Amino acid sequence: MTVNSLKILIGGVQLRDGVSTVADLLGKVFTRAGLFVLANERNYASTIYGAHQFDPIMVSDSPPLSHGDDRIDILLALEHDSNPDAPEQPNRDTILRHGKSLAPGGILIYDSSTGPVPESEFEAKGIRVFPLPARSVAQRELKKEVVKNTFIVGALFRLLEFDMDHRYFRILLEERFLRKSREMVDLNMEAARRGREAVEDVLAGRGWADSGHRLADVPPSEPVLFLSGTDALCLGAIQAGCRFYAGYPITPASGILEFMDRHLSKFGGRSLQGQNERESIRAALGAGMAGVRSMVGTSGPGLSLKVEEIGLSGAAEIPLVIVNAQRAGPSTGMPTKTEQGDLATTIHAGHGDFPRIVLAPSSLEESYSLIIEAFNLADKYQCPVFFLTDLTLAEVRKTIPESFFSHPVSVKIAPERAFGSNGYRRYAWTDSGISPLIVPGTPGAILKATGTEHDEDGFVTTDPPKRQAAMDKRMRKMETYLREDAREPQVVGDPTGKPVLVGWGSTGPVLLSARERLARDGTDVAVVHFTHLWPFPTQLALPVLKDAAVLIVCEQNYGGQFADILQAHCLLPTRRILKYNGRVFYVSEIVESVGWILEKGAETVRVGEMIPTPTAVHEGD
Amino acid sequence: MKVIDVSQTVMQVEKQTSIDKIWEENAVPKHRIQWCPGCGDFGVLAGLKMALTRLGREPHDIFPVGGIGCSGQIRNYLNGNALHGTHGGTLAYALGVRMANPDLVVIALAGDGDTFAIGVENFVHTCRRDPQVTLVVMNNGVYGLTKGQNSPTHGLGRDLGESSEESPPPFDPLRLALSAGATFVAQSFSGDVKHAAQVYVAALKHPGFAFINDFSPCVTYNKFNTYDWFKEHVEHVPEGHDPMSLGSAWSLLNEFEVRGRLPMGIIYSKPRPKRRFAPLPVRGENLNNADIRPLLQMFR
Repeated sequence: MTVNSLKILIGGVQLRDGVSTVADLLGKVFTRAGLFVLANERNYASTIYGAHQFDPIMVSDSPPLSHGDDRIDILLALEHDSNPDAPEQPNRDTILRHGKSLAPGGILIYDSSTGPVPESEFEAKGIRVFPLPARSVAQRELKKEVVKNTFIVGALFRLLEFDMDHRYFRILLEERFLRKSREMVDLNMEAARRGREAVEDVLAGRGWADSGHRLADVPPSEPVLFLSGTDALCLGAIQAGCRFYAGYPITPASGILEFMDRHLSKFGGRSLQGQNERESIRAALGAGMAGVRSMVGTSGPGLSLKVEEIGLSGAAEIPLVIVNAQRAGPSTGMPTKTEQGDLATTIHAGHGDFPRIVLAPSSLEESYSLIIEAFNLADKYQCPVFFLTDLTLAEVRKTIPESFFSHPVSVKIAPERAFGSNGYRRYAWTDSGISPLIVPGTPGAILKATGTEHDEDGFVTTDPPKRQAAMDKRMRKMETYLREDAREPQVVGDPTGKPVLVGWGSTGPVLLSARERLARDGTDVAVVHFTHLWPFPTQLALPVLKDAAVLIVCEQNYGGQFADILQAHCLLPTRRILKYNGRVFYVSEIVESVGWILEKGAETVRVGEMIPTPTAVHEGD
Repeated sequence: MKVIDVSQTVMQVEKQTSIDKIWEENAVPKHRIQWCPGCGDFGVLAGLKMALTRLGREPHDIFPVGGIGCSGQIRNYLNGNALHGTHGGTLAYALGVRMANPDLVVIALAGDGDTFAIGVENFVHTCRRDPQVTLVVMNNGVYGLTKGQNSPTHGLGRDLGESSEESPPPFDPLRLALSAGATFVAQSFSGDVKHAAQVYVAALKHPGFAFINDFSPCVTYNKFNTYDWFKEHVEHVPEGHDPMSLGSAWSLLNEFEVRGRLPMGIIYSKPRPKRRFAPLPVRGENLNNADIRPLLQMFR
C-alpha cells in the first residue's frame, strides 16, 4: 500500500471531457486536505475543442522537489469514444498514449460508457483496471452529462480511501454551486456517490480488498493556496506596484492579461488589451513615460513584433518590464508546448547597442519574488527588463502556504524630483550612467525623451563626442548593475572537481531531482542554476564554475543558447543536454544523459523519443 | 446687477502675460530649427503656441508625442515635455500617457506617412478608443525627410491617369476617421494660422480623440500641392453646418468633393459618454500599501 505519494494523469478530449475541471477540483481538494500538489506538465492543444489534452498531477505529504518522471501511478482516461486513428484499439486516445507510463501496481480508470478496453496487457503489469460508466450514468440516470466529472472524482476518492465523509468535496461543491441552486450540489453529490458505488462493484467483482494506493489528509496548520505560475507572477507584479498592464492575446501569456483585466483596477491600475502586439508595448511605454510602473506580457511571436519598441525603451530610457512566456518556436511553432528557445533573441533583439536586463525565474515562487525585483531594476536602470518564463512556468499549479505571500515586499522607488539650478536634464551624463527621472507634470521641469540619439537635455545630436558620451552613459548602467545588483547563480553541492549540471529558468527543480538520483546511484554532481542571465555576471559565475570537472548545460532548445553565452563569457567548454520536443525534461532523461556524457564522452545529448521507423521518401512519388 | 471681481481679473491678466512669454520662446534656439524655409510645419507650430496660450497651459502640463519625419521634430521646438518614439507609434504612446495621467494635455504630432501608412493601425483604433488626445497630422502627401517618396495621401487634386498597384490614388483620412468612429474630425491649413489655432483650441477642449488633418505644404518635395494651390482649393465649413450630426458630416464631405474643394474647420464633433479615471499611481507615491490578501482568498 502506497500512502500519500502519487502521480495522477488526467486525459481526455479538450473542452469536452472535463480534464481541466477535474484537475482543478483535485488540486483544490488535495490542497485543502493538507497535501502538496504539483501540476507542472499541463499539456493542451492549440485548438478550442477536440484534441487530446492531459494534465499530470503529483500529490504527496511533503512538497515535491520536481515533477519527476513521466511515470504515473493512476491514469484517469475521461474519453468515451474510440480513437479513429486506431480502430483496432477501441476507446481511447488517453490509454493509448499514456498507458505505457503506468507504473506496475498502478491504477487505470476509464469511462466504459461505450464499451470495455482490453485489460490483459495491464493485468500482466499488476495494474488494476477500473471500467466506470461515468458518462452513461450521468446522461441516462442523472440527466446531466456534465456531472460525469464529479462521478469520476467520487470514484477516485473511493479508490484512494480519501475524504470518505465527503467533507472537503461537499464544501467545494457548495462554494461552487450553492449560489446557483441547492439541486446542483445534491446532483453532484449523487454523481460522486454513484462513482463510489461503481468502484465498490469493481472491487467486489474482482475480489480486491483495496486499490493499493491511499491518500490521507493532513489537516494544514496554516492556510494554504492552490494557484498557478501566472497567478503568482501577477500577484508579484501588483505587489511591486505595477499599475499599467498591456497585452495581446497569445498563448501562454494570455493568462496574465485575463488576470490583470479582472483584478488590476482593484489596485487603482488599468489593464489594456492592445489591438496588436505593438500597440500594447507602445501604450505601456507611454504609461511608463508618464511615471507608472508598467508591464507587458507576450510570447515568442509577440516578442518579435515588439522588438522595435524594446530599442526605444533602451535608447529613450523608459522603464518597462517585459514578460516573455516562451513557447516552442520558430515562427508560430507549437503555441501550447514549452521551450526555452527565446534566450538568444531576448538578449539580442533590437538594432544597435542598448542596455537591458534579463531575469528568469525557476519556479512559481520565483515568478512572484523575482518579478518584484524586475520592477525595482526597471525603475533604477530605466531600461527594458525582461522576465523570461515559459509555458511550464505559466501553467504550473502548486500548493503554496498563504504566508509565502505575506513576506514584506521591498518596492524600491527612487523618485528623482530634485534638479540643479541649471534646470532638469533628463539624460544627465552621470558616473553611474543613471540619470534623474522625473514624472512629467512636475512644475518647473521639462522632460524630453527620444529614441533618436540625443544630448543631456534630450535634443537630437549626431555630434561624434556627444554621441559617444551618450552611448557610454547608457551602457555604463550595465556596469553599475553588475556591481550592485547582479546575483550569483544558485549553487547546490560543491562544484569543485565534480560534474556540474548548469541550468536556467524552469528546469531548475528537475536538475535538483536529477542530482539526488545521481547521488543515489553513486555519481556526485553539483547544480548551478542561473536566474540573472543578462548582463551575464561573469565575475560571479566564473569562480563557481572554473574548477568543475565538466560543465553540463541542460536546456530546452535546439542548440544550447545559454551554453553559448556561458562559453563566450567564461571561456569554459560545455557539454549539453538538450530537449525541444515540446515536453518538459524528466529526471530519468537527465540522469541517463549524464551517463552518456560521463561514461561515453558524448558532447551533446538530444533527448526525447525518436520516431520508431524512418519514413521512406521515394523520388517521383 | 453684475459684480466684477477686479482682483481676479488682474490676476488672470498677469498669468496670461507670463504664459504668452512661455510659449513665445521655443525650446531650442532659432538656428536649430531644421525645417526648410516656408515649411508648412512652421504654421502648425505657431498655431499650437497660440492655442496653448489661449488655453492658459504651461509647458509642464503638456505632453506632445512626435512622430518620425520632419513633422515630428515639432516636439523639440515646442517648449514642453515630449516623447519621440518609433515610426507609426505616436498615437499608441499618446494612448498610454493619457491612460496613465488624464491631467496631462496629450498632443500627437505626426505626418501623413507616419499616421496613414505605417501607423494606420493605431489611427483606426485610436478613433475607436477615443482617448482625450489631440492629433495634428501635418499632411503634405510626401515622405519629406527621406526625399519625397509618395505617401498614402499623395496625389490630392491631381489627375493621376492610370492607376497601378505601385501608385494607387490617395485616400481621404477624414472619411477613414468618421468610419472608424472618431468623435472629432477637423481640417486646417498651415497657410491660415489664425483659423488653424481656432480649430486646435476646439480640439484641445474636446473630451475625446480629436483629429485634425492639417494641410502643411512641403515646399521642397511637393511642387503640386503648394500654398497657392491650397489657397485656391480650401473653403471654410459653412456657418450653418451642424458638426453634431454624423449625416451632415458625410454630406459635407461629399458635397465639397463634388465641387473639388477642401473643407476647413470642424466637420464633426460629438463627444461620447465616457467613464472617468483618476490618474494612476506613479513612481514616488507609496505603492507599498497594496494589500493582496483579499485577492488570495480565491485560491484557497
